[in-house]
This record gives sequence, structure tokens and C-alpha cells, in this order.
Amino acid sequence: MRAYIMKVVFAMIILSVPLNSFGDEAVKWNHITSVYTDSKGNGINRPEGVACSDKSIFIVADTGNSRLLRYTYQELAVTGGEEIKMPEMTYPLRVQINSSGEIFVLDGKLLQIVRLNPDGTFKSYIEPEGLPSPAPVIPRSFRIDSKENIYILDIFSDRILILDQTGKYLKDIALPKDNGFISDLAISNTGNIFILDSVKAIVYSASQESKEFSPLTTELKEYMNFPVNMAVDAQGFIFLADQSGGYITILGQDGSFRGHYLSFGWKEGRLRYPSQLCINEKQEVFIADRENSRIQIFTVLK
Amino acid sequence: MKLRYKMLLFFVVSTLSIVTLAYSQDKFKLKPGARGKICLNCNVSFQDKLKSPFIHTPVKAGECSGCHNPHSSSHEKFLAADKSKVCYKCHKSMIPEKASSVHKVIVDGNCILCHDPHASDNKFNLLKSGNELCFGCHKEMAESVPKVKFKHNPVEKGCLTCHNPHASAEAGSLLKDSVPSLCIKCHKTDKPSFVTGHMNYPVEKGRCTTCHNPHGSDRGVILYDNVHRPVANKMCNQCHNEPNSQNPFATKKTGYEICMGCHSNTINEIRSKNRMHWPVMSKRGCLSCHSPHASKQNSLLKSPMIELCGTCHGDTIQRQQRSQTKHPPIQEGNCTICHLPHSSDNSFLLNQPLVVEVCGTCHDWQRHSTHPIGEKVIDPRNSNLRLQCLSCHRSHGTENKQFIYFATTSEMCTQCHLQFSR
Repeated sequence: MRAYIMKVVFAMIILSVPLNSFGDEAVKWNHITSVYTDSKGNGINRPEGVACSDKSIFIVADTGNSRLLRYTYQELAVTGGEEIKMPEMTYPLRVQINSSGEIFVLDGKLLQIVRLNPDGTFKSYIEPEGLPSPAPVIPRSFRIDSKENIYILDIFSDRILILDQTGKYLKDIALPKDNGFISDLAISNTGNIFILDSVKAIVYSASQESKEFSPLTTELKEYMNFPVNMAVDAQGFIFLADQSGGYITILGQDGSFRGHYLSFGWKEGRLRYPSQLCINEKQEVFIADRENSRIQIFTVLK
Repeated sequence: MKLRYKMLLFFVVSTLSIVTLAYSQDKFKLKPGARGKICLNCNVSFQDKLKSPFIHTPVKAGECSGCHNPHSSSHEKFLAADKSKVCYKCHKSMIPEKASSVHKVIVDGNCILCHDPHASDNKFNLLKSGNELCFGCHKEMAESVPKVKFKHNPVEKGCLTCHNPHASAEAGSLLKDSVPSLCIKCHKTDKPSFVTGHMNYPVEKGRCTTCHNPHGSDRGVILYDNVHRPVANKMCNQCHNEPNSQNPFATKKTGYEICMGCHSNTINEIRSKNRMHWPVMSKRGCLSCHSPHASKQNSLLKSPMIELCGTCHGDTIQRQQRSQTKHPPIQEGNCTICHLPHSSDNSFLLNQPLVVEVCGTCHDWQRHSTHPIGEKVIDPRNSNLRLQCLSCHRSHGTENKQFIYFATTSEMCTQCHLQFSR
């Protein structure tokens, strides 16, 4: 009998380790470095976007200077900072890199998604083809999945538009009817689609097969001010950048609140109006720290 | 059968009343016949109150101990329960189970804001009669209703013509019925003048209060004071399908596109700027903030600016409410003193490129402080930043005085002036 009880206790201890491993106390953000300048030493101005790839490259939307900057991050050191600037891209807000290294940019002035070759030259605008009904597409945000499909948060028609890599229409999923305002979306490694309601502070989710979104969380207003951007890490944890709060909120895969990290301020490791974040496979987090005019890089230790 | 049922009910209620009375008397071991009389020995002035035409039933029965504890209490005025709960001991069903709207005073348990718990000159022990009572709190109504050029008859008759005073199971705003059902109880929708007045649109299925101010206005047919020109010119089909079509209220286009027909200059100007206020480009488009028909507010805003902006940016508005020092433009709801509501080339949709210029509209900073600020002054904390007003102050407020970011001035100054930090 005693042996049996011991086995049960042992099993419980083992099981509780992964559950606790991402509890509030178990997560540690370690500030690695901050990026302030391009390769020529010129300052970044109000960057609104950052995208990272698993090939050690990260791209910054240096919004205030109407350009992109390309950096390499290896062994805790940042190099590069070459400028990518062109007349076809006027006001970069959000950036993404696909698995082929192509760069996608949401232009806030043109209200279009610009596609660049891996070398930073202009390729095309994303023009959705074969839409079920003609209507303007106004992208507020977008994501590229591992199959290189393009997901556009189209606020004009209240939908997530899913296109293949050539821009052909695949499907769309309507946004929840009673949403406050959807500001961002994210795709998990398993293909689940998440959308973020900034006004109500609700995250909704849908699987690839779903025809509609369902709430993953309740209203999280008591935990958040105005979340505007989201990213999902390799384990499915959801990271939300709270713009006016100046912190990052982490939610579990089930939408449960796991904690606030970082805080409002000027010092390195603090944020003022974070606008986009990116998480790579090594659990390194890149944050466009807009009002501090810098990019900050952290590792998240569990 | 019915009579027998009533008799039975009467018997049960009577028995319960006697038992309650006996319990109450027994509870305080009052002398026979004492009850309320004993209280009046000391509360002499209360005798006059009892001469009022309307007396609360327990008072009339001398049941002071129904609401008060004569010996001691944890609540003010020796009440037997908290003042927000004591009335509900008897008046249990003031709020319907599935209420669509509830009067805030009821939620707060502030019954005495309207009722005198002892006696009054008005029916239901109301403190004042008619609209005068409601206008005590609804001051905006008190000011506007007597002044408006075109009055709505039910308002003259009394607020309770359309509103329930406590709660409504049927509709919002304590209305006795939903709109338009409430309105068409008086307004005959098949009258030719009604039909032609509404350009043959089946408005009996619509929401009257999108155009008409039910409390009266200075415009004919009590339209809200600010009317969208197509509505004023009775050109509904400029935006909507024809009245005899299958879906007459559907709009010909959606989002900002429907407004472009007339407001193309505005839309083009919005799109010429770098930073968009995203709701303008959303499915609701301009209607995110503007009413398409008529409004009390200038520029056809859906509600006063602070409420409207607070619908989405509630956290920012609340920060101001919590702030020790208030910033007048926010308090007064003048968000557009600093921000452009549609689009801007500047961060935070500010109306000027430099924060110093925005603040300089109201503040002469050189008098305020001799601290160097401006585009030529680099922030010692970060060479990409320039020192400006927001380097020290958070314009929508903080928990600290003068909405500075830190609890003390020295803590704030030593963020940059490190040599003085201890």
C-alpha cells in the first residue's frame, strides 16, 4: 500500500513539473541588447514593426524614416543594419519574413502589402485574386504561415482573408460580429489562427477548418490596457504587446492569463508603446519599442 | 374557485403579517400598545411628518422597528440593514429578472434619492412631483426641455409616460417598450402625412431615435439639432436603396465608400496622411464615430467626444480620471485639441509634428520652465529621442501630481541628472 501511495505521489510530482514550468514565477525575461542605429550610425525613428527568421535575420520597419533595416543576430550580437528604401514603400508598419526569405511589409499609407525579394528589392504588391465578391481590401495586419499562405486582417470586410503564396483566394473567415476592434492576428505552428480584439481585450481562435472564430479568452480588460499586437511561440503560448500599458502579457494555450512582463519606461528592458513583437525558435523575442525608437531583444527563460 | 383562492391568499398574508408583527413586538419586548408611540415621545418633530397625505405603510402602522433597530445598529440612522438593502426587505421585486435596463439609483440602493421613507406630499412618497423630481439629477434635461422650440407632448405630460422609474424588462433607457413599438402607440404610421414625411420608407420598422430627439428640439418634427444634409433634403435614396425595394434600408455601398460620394475631399485627405485612425477604414467606416442621420452633437458625432473616444480608448480616459492633476482638454472632452480624429502624419495622430508645438498651443513652456526642450535637445537616456514635454509628463495623467511619471520630482530629474541621484 505504501509503495502504491509513493508511486502516485511520484507521478503527481512529475506531472506537475511541466504545468508549473510556465507559471508566473517560472518565466524570466533576460534583456540581451537594444538596437538604436542603422549600419551608418543613423538613429532609428519610431519603429512600428519587427520580423525575425530562424536564419538569424531580423528586419525592422523604421517607420519614422520610411525604410526597412536588415540586421543579423548571432551569438548574442547584432550586426548589419542595411537600409532598404524604395518609392513603392512609403510608410512601413508591420513586417514579416517567409520561409524563402521574402520580406512582406504592410504600408500604412498605401494600405497595401508590399512583397520584396530576399535581397530587399521590390517584387510586387499583394493583390488578392479570385475574391468571392469585389470589395476593397484594407489590411490592418497580416501573417505568413509555414506553407507561405498569406493571412490578411481585412477590416473593410471584417474578415481574415487567406491567400496562397501567389495571392490567389483560398478562403475567408468572418470576424466575430460583436467585436470591439480587431487589431492583429497570429498563426500557431499547428495552424490555429488567433485574432486580437484591442478594445475588449479578447483573443479569439479558429482552426484551419473553422468557418468562424470562437473566444479563447473572456474580456481581459482587468489585466490589459490596449493590446495591439500578438505572437505565438513554438509551444503555443500567446504573447500580447500592450501599447499604452507598456508591457507584454503572456497567455497559455488555453487562453489563461499567465502574467505581465516588462514595464513602461525608458531604461533598457522597459517599453513605451510596443507595436510589434516576433519570437523565433530559440525563444528570442524581438520588440519594436516605438516611442523609445529602438528594437529590444530578450530571451525568455522558462 | 377564484374566490376561494383569493380567500386562501388573504388568510395566508394576514397570518404572516400578524406573526411578523408579533415577532417584531416580541423581539424588542415592547410594552403593550407602545410600538411607534414610544419613538414619538422623543422624536417630537416627527408628529408633523405624520400629517402628510402620503405615509409609508410601516410608519402608518407604527412599525418603526420594521426599518430601524431601537437599540443599536451598524448602519446610519439606526437602520436595521444597510441603506442600500433595507428597502428590499419588503420591496423585493423592483428589478425584473431579465431587466434590459435598470435605473442607477436602484442599483446603488439609493431609493431615498426619490422617495421619502416616512411620508410625503406626493404619491408613492416621492420627494417631488412630476418631472421636477427627475430633473433634480437629469440637469441637462432640466435645462433643455423647457427651452426647446419644438416640444414632444409626452415629455410635457411627464417622464413616466415613456420611462419606467425603476427598471425595464422591455428596453434600454428604462423605456416602457422598445423603439419603435413605443412610438407607434401614439404615432399612426399609416397616416398619409406620416408616409410621405418619411419618403415612403417603412420607418415603422426602423429606430425613430436615430433622427428624432424624443425630448424635443429646435428643429421641426423634433429632428436632432444637427441634421445630415441628405436627411434634411429628404434624399434618403442618396445612400439607401429605393423605398419599394426588397431591402430598402440597405445602403448602396459600405464603409467609407458610401460617404465618398459627397465627402471625397475628406476621404482623399485622410488617405493622403501616413497614419490612419483605423476605424475610418473599417466595415463601419465613418459610422464608427458619426451618426448618418442626425445628432445632438456637432459634426454629427454619435455622442459627446469624451464618451465616443472612450468607447475604444477607455483605458486612456480612465487614466485621466485617476490622475491627481487633471488635464482640462481631456476633462472637457476636447480630444481634437491635440489629436486629429481621421489621420495624421504624426505619432499619436497629433495635429502638429512636434509635441512642443502641440502643448505650446495652450502652454507657454518658457514661462513654465527654463529646462531646455525641443528638437535640438537630445534626451540623455536615449540619443534617438529629443527632450520634449512628454519626456517628463504623461499628457493623459499619472498617479502623480502634474502628471509626471515618477512619485517625486527628484526621482524624475535624476533619471537624466544621474550625478544628483542618491
